[in-house]
Order: sequence, then structure tokens, then C-alpha cells
Amino acid sequence: MNVDNGRLDHLRAGQGAVENHVIDEFVAGRLSRRDFLRRGAVVGISIPVLGAVLSACGSSTPAPSTTTSSSAPASASGATIKAGIVVPTGQINPLTVADQGGLDMLAQTGEYLCLSDQHLMLQPVLAESWTANTAADVWTFKIRQGVKFHNGAPLTADDVVYTYKLQTDPKKASNALSAFGGALAPSGVKKVDDFTVEFHLEAANGNFPYLTSSDNYNMIIIPNGYDPASWQGSFIGTGPFVMKNYTPKVGATFARNEQYWGTKAVPAATEFTFYDSQTPTILALTGGTIDVVGQFSVSGGEQLLAAGAPYNIIRLKSSAHRELSMRCDQAPFTDPRVRQAVALTLNRPAIVQALFKGFADLGNDSPFAPVFPSTNTSIPQRTQDIAKAKSLLSAAGHPHGFSTQLVTEQLLEIPQYAQIVTQEAKSIGVNIKLKIESSAAYYGKATFGNSDWLDATMSLVDYGHRSVPNVFLTAPLVTTNAKTGTGPWNAAHFNNTQYDGLVKQYVAAVDLTSQRAIAGKIETLLLDQTPIIFAYFYNYLSASAKNVTGVYPTAIGHLFLTKATKS
Amino acid sequence: MIGTPGAPVEAPREVTVAHAPRRAGSTPWRLLLRRPTFIAGAVILLFWITCALFGTAIAPHSPFAQQLLATNMRPSAAHWFGTDQLGRDVFSRVLVGSRSILEIAALATVLGTVLGTALGLVMGYLGGVVDLLVSRIVEAVLAVPLIILALLFVTALGSSVLVITLVVGFIFTPLIARTVRSAVLVESQLDYLSSARLLGENSARVMFVEILPNVMPAILVEFTVRLGYAIFTVVALSFLGLGIQPPTPDWGADITANYGVLPAGYWWETIFPALAIMSLIIGVNLVTDSIEQVLAS
Repeated sequence: MNVDNGRLDHLRAGQGAVENHVIDEFVAGRLSRRDFLRRGAVVGISIPVLGAVLSACGSSTPAPSTTTSSSAPASASGATIKAGIVVPTGQINPLTVADQGGLDMLAQTGEYLCLSDQHLMLQPVLAESWTANTAADVWTFKIRQGVKFHNGAPLTADDVVYTYKLQTDPKKASNALSAFGGALAPSGVKKVDDFTVEFHLEAANGNFPYLTSSDNYNMIIIPNGYDPASWQGSFIGTGPFVMKNYTPKVGATFARNEQYWGTKAVPAATEFTFYDSQTPTILALTGGTIDVVGQFSVSGGEQLLAAGAPYNIIRLKSSAHRELSMRCDQAPFTDPRVRQAVALTLNRPAIVQALFKGFADLGNDSPFAPVFPSTNTSIPQRTQDIAKAKSLLSAAGHPHGFSTQLVTEQLLEIPQYAQIVTQEAKSIGVNIKLKIESSAAYYGKATFGNSDWLDATMSLVDYGHRSVPNVFLTAPLVTTNAKTGTGPWNAAHFNNTQYDGLVKQYVAAVDLTSQRAIAGKIETLLLDQTPIIFAYFYNYLSASAKNVTGVYPTAIGHLFLTKATKS
Repeated sequence: MIGTPGAPVEAPREVTVAHAPRRAGSTPWRLLLRRPTFIAGAVILLFWITCALFGTAIAPHSPFAQQLLATNMRPSAAHWFGTDQLGRDVFSRVLVGSRSILEIAALATVLGTVLGTALGLVMGYLGGVVDLLVSRIVEAVLAVPLIILALLFVTALGSSVLVITLVVGFIFTPLIARTVRSAVLVESQLDYLSSARLLGENSARVMFVEILPNVMPAILVEFTVRLGYAIFTVVALSFLGLGIQPPTPDWGADITANYGVLPAGYWWETIFPALAIMSLIIGVNLVTDSIEQVLAS
């Protein structure tokens, strides 16, 4: 690496300790170019500075590569783009939305402080910039000026403070608490001036900006004092589209926001039709009723993936996965050897091939997906080993196996995966009886004692994509504590102080090297304990008609159509 | 006072009960066996009953065995009906899948027929307030689409073989009761019942010993008709995800699991279970129609 030290020193001068640490890591070769861009964005180094550092180090700024196979756009701006997405399950309320259809609706008119893009890089949106103190427990966000809500009111720090206090209030039962629990309390949200907000965290968090991004999909900024329960009637936000019509369970239409603060949307309008399953959505695309399918799975979507098929396929590597939890507080899963034995029965490459035709990465029984830069790839991959599984089971006092029940939901490939688990567990004498329920019945009230998801002896649940593993590390694995709100999704009832401590360290770590080192310890511990089986992380797939380009999905489930064109 | 039970009628001791004339006893079976439609229906039914009883022995592969690297294979010599999304042999699953549907549908129909017959006899024979009250309840129940009723009960009680059998049996009870009641009302006009009462026979004996044998043809027809509907109801519940839990082979559940891949061209995973359902219902209907026609003649 040919480093222009003079220029680099000049660039360093304008940065804080945390930012300079990231630059040091890159210069020392411990960060790849992509990781440097990603990590630099997290700690608040602006895009021009990132580019200048790369240049000073003899590297050019990479143009964001496209993951779409689409051809060059033959623009026909002003068109109406028609999309098919999964039906939102409940009211479109920024506080309570917890499903893909709902979050997609939030993001059509609402905007986040920043966007976690397809490459897991943070892009400023309503925040112009952000910085952290050295301890990474106070983050300061500069709010963009000149932004107006759809009702004409200007965006100020008051709106941001109101939104964040609302979403972090434990009394409000916000869905975002799954991310904010133990990280940010309402008292930590402080207005500095009309366009500056400080977040004083409960504990240091090196990835905090991701919690303010589209990753934490509830966090669209709403006007100060606005009742989120009435949001569905207005869809008020600052985004590039305004809502024209929303009919629950049917669809929604949006028109271009001519007063938008940024580059105005290309389509004059968008139309969303809600589908409750994949088959009609794909048929609507192939029949020309819609232009875009928000997401599809490989199973049933093969015709879109066929060579020469007239569709643009967008494939995003993601951290979306399924968690097969085993109750660590209930026999026979109280013994980690039993949990390991079940995990060892799975032939993961075959599962990925059967369920995803290879459009997925192998899981290694920790939330560290290959897509995360912090994942420690030196930890050996767990592979199928029936002999070892039998030996472990025997040592645990179950030489002839045992019987148990696995409860899960009727969603995408999950029933098939559950059947594979039951079949493979039979090879070591473990007889698993399946109970497949509707998602509503399975989740229940989503609280302990009121939810098959959280109460079943074995439970298989879906997790959407996140750009950093923080939520996956905390909500389903950290020791449950109702007072502090930690471990709210701990279906495995895993209780391990060593793990809790390591996660705390990981969350606080600012630099990637430290994160990777701690990740390695966590991965090793989870392989030993195996409270949850993470068998795969599947790719996010979206499709559009060949004549439609510029569609921008995110792996968490957003579908942005602001640059979509139809020829 | 025909139809009024327990009427104080003095009966001479010498009188012997004039049982209702039985229809020519040996001819119905012979008539049935002469009907090609009955033979065809019976052959289909017997085929599926054989599969239900010995399916696991007949099937070329285990219906549970997964080949994760041989999924969605087209029909071939190795797999006559192809393989499904988990690489399981569709032919074997279709053969073995007959067990759950026939087991549940048959048991549920027997249950519905027994309960419906008892209720129909009581309504038709006792008449009066009992008939009025029970008839209104039956009409109220029948006003709700049966599949909705079944869905409500299965959702509330949970899905298991026992629950589905009981639910389908119970929802068929009012239907069968209404038919039996009509038949009993016709029988009530006949002299042999007056004779029975004159002999002082109690209501239960009159209903179950005197009337029941004479309404058996109607009950038999109703049983076969309901069997077809029971198959359809059980399949519908399975299709809606409220039936047999996977990985147990089940036609309705297998259609649900695989119809999503129809657009991808994997037709065999859905079509063969669907054809199996169709053939079973056609078999039952052919037998039903034949019995109805023979009894009518």
C-alpha cells in the first residue's frame, strides 16, 4: 500500500479518536477496502473523507457495485410502477409494525436517520452526519436542514427526539425495543440544538448508528407529538412519496412528493398490491399484472431464476435465517451434549441445496453470518457427524434417544426445514413430533407464557436480516430479565453469564479487530453450548420485469422504488 | 294417535306384531353386482382400502425417506410419480397417504351416522316439543357452512386425528338426523308400529327394534353420501393446514405443501395427490349412486 502520509495526516486532523482508529486499522491492513468503507460509515466518517483516505492510501473509491442482473435502464420516467408484496399483518403503526409488509409500507413515505444499504453500508438520510465520543457511549447526530414533512412542517431535532423517546419507552411496547433494550432509554435522548441530537447510551455501543438506520425498521421519524396509532390514516413522513390510498389487506398507492428535499422520485406513482402467498405474486409478475415482486423464495420461484427468464433478479447476501431453539431449562435439552447431538445430525450443505438451490450460506450455530465483516471465519464449520452425535447422546444418558415436540410456523420453507430436522434427528433415535401452526397462533402474544414460539421445548422461528448481529446476539440469547428488558426473544431460555459478558464486550467494541476477536470467543462458546441451531443464512431475492430497472430492495425487506423506471 | 309414545291403549294379548314387510332380501346385492358403475366404484374403493391397510408394505420407498440432493425429480422409472421438494417419493406418499384420509373419513362418517340416526329416530318418533326444539337447533347448525364449522372447532380444539374425526362426525350428525327423521315419519304412519304399541313395547324398543331396520336403506344411502363429503371435508382441512401434521403422508397436506411450486413446472407433486382424492371421491360416489338406484328400484 503506497501511503501519502502528508495527505493522510491532513485528513486525520479533522477526525476524532474513534475515526482515526478505523483509519489506522485500514492503513495497517487489518481492514479490507470494503470493510473500511463500511466501518468508516458506521463511526461517522463522511463519504468524501472515506474516498480521500482511500486515495491517500493508493486505492480508488469503489463505485457501489450492483447486485442486479438488470440491463441498462431505458428510462421512461413518470411511469407508475406496480409492485407485489406480502400483505401487512396488522395496523401500519410505526410503534408496533413487526412484519415485512408493514415495514415496507412505513418506508414508502417515512425516512430514517440513515439507510443501511445493500452492502450493509450506512448512507445518511435525515441525519447529515454522526460522531461518537471515545467510549462510544454518546453519539451525536446532525439533523438535515430544509426537510419538510408531507404536511409542510419542517423537520427539526424535536421530531427526532419525540420519535426516539416514544420508541425507547418501555411502557409503549414498541417493537424497536428489541434493538434498544439495554442500549438506549428515553432519558438518553437529548436535544442539543434545533438540528443536533445526542444519544447517551446505557452501555457503549460501537454499532449504534445501525440502530438508527433502516435496519431498525420502526424508526422512521414522525412529527413531534404525532400519535403513531393514527399514522395509518396519513402515512405522514418526509419521504419521496405521499400516500394517496391505503386499503388494509388489499393494497396502497403513492404519488411522487413534489416537495421532497432530495432528488425527486422517478416514478410519478407507485401501486402496491398485497398478496398472502408467493404463488399468486409470481403469477402476477409473469402475467404482467405487476412489475416487481418484493421478495420471493427459491422454492416456488424457480421459473424466475431459470436461465434466460425475462426478469431482473436482485440477489442480496443477507443475515436472514431461522433459529431452531432448544429449551436449555427443560429436559432433555438441559444437557449441552444433547443439543450438540441434534445439531450434528444436520447435513447443512444438503439442506442449503434442497431448500435454496445454493442461494444461502451455511450457518455455524451462531448469529455470525458470513455476510458480517465481524464474523470470525477461523472457527471451524460444524458438519454432520452421526457417530459423534450418537456418542454425545449416549454420554448424556440417552443411548436410545428420546421423544420431543418441535413447534413452528407455516411460513416459506420453514415446514420443509422442520421436516428435514425431524428426519435427520431420527438417525440418532430422537423422535421429534412436529406441530406446524399459523404464524399468528405460533407467535401468540410474543411474551413468555403466552407464546408457542417462546414456550415450546423446541421452536423454529424466522429472523429477518440485520446489518450487524447485535439484535441476534442479544434478544434471543442474552439472559432474560424482565426489569431491564433484555433477552425478550430468548426462546431457548439460555442463561449464561459468560456469554452475557462477551456480548457486552462485543457490543461496546468500536473497531473491527476487537469485534472479530470477541466474535471468535462467542462463536466457540455457542458451538459448545448450542442453545440455538443456525443452519443457514439465505439470500434475499427480489425480481422485476425485464423492462423495469432501478428497483432497490434491502435484505431486511424494504422495497424502494424512487429510482425505478419502466421502458 | 300415531306417533304419540306411551299412549294408554289396551292391547289384546293374543295379537302378534305385524312386522313391516321386508323388501325382497336377496335381490339388492345381486342387482348391485350387475351394475358396472357399482363394480367400478367398488374396485376403486377396494384399491384405496388395500393401500390404506398395506400401503407401507406395497410402497416402493419409504414415504418419509428424504433425498435432499434429488428433490423435485420428474416421474421416472425409479420414481413413478417423481419426488417432492424434500426428495421423497411421491408415489409412495400417495399410496400411504390413503390411510389417514380413509381412517378419519370412515370413522367420522360412522360416528355421524350413529349419532344422527339416534337423533333422527328420537325426533321422528317422539315428535312434539322434542322434535320442534331439536329441529330448530339442527336447522341453526345447518345454516352455517359445514367447512366453517369444522374450521372453528379444529382451530379451537387443536389439530389431531381424534379431534378431526370427532369434529367431522359431529358436524355430519344434524344432516343425517334430518334424513333419518324424515324416514321415521313415513314409517310412523304404518300399522306395524300401532301393533308394537298395542303390545306395550317401550319407546326405545319401538325405535331401535321396530323402526330402525326399516329405515336402514335410507341410512345406508346417507352413510355413503356422507362418506364422500367426509373425504372432501378432511382433505379441505388438511389443505388449510389444519389436518394431519407433516411429515405424515396426507393428500391434502401434500397438495398444500407443493402447490407453491406448480408455477415452476413441478406439477407431479400436486397433481398425483389431487388425482388420488378425485378417484376416491368418484369411487365413493359410484357406489353411492348404485346403492341409491337399486334401493329406489
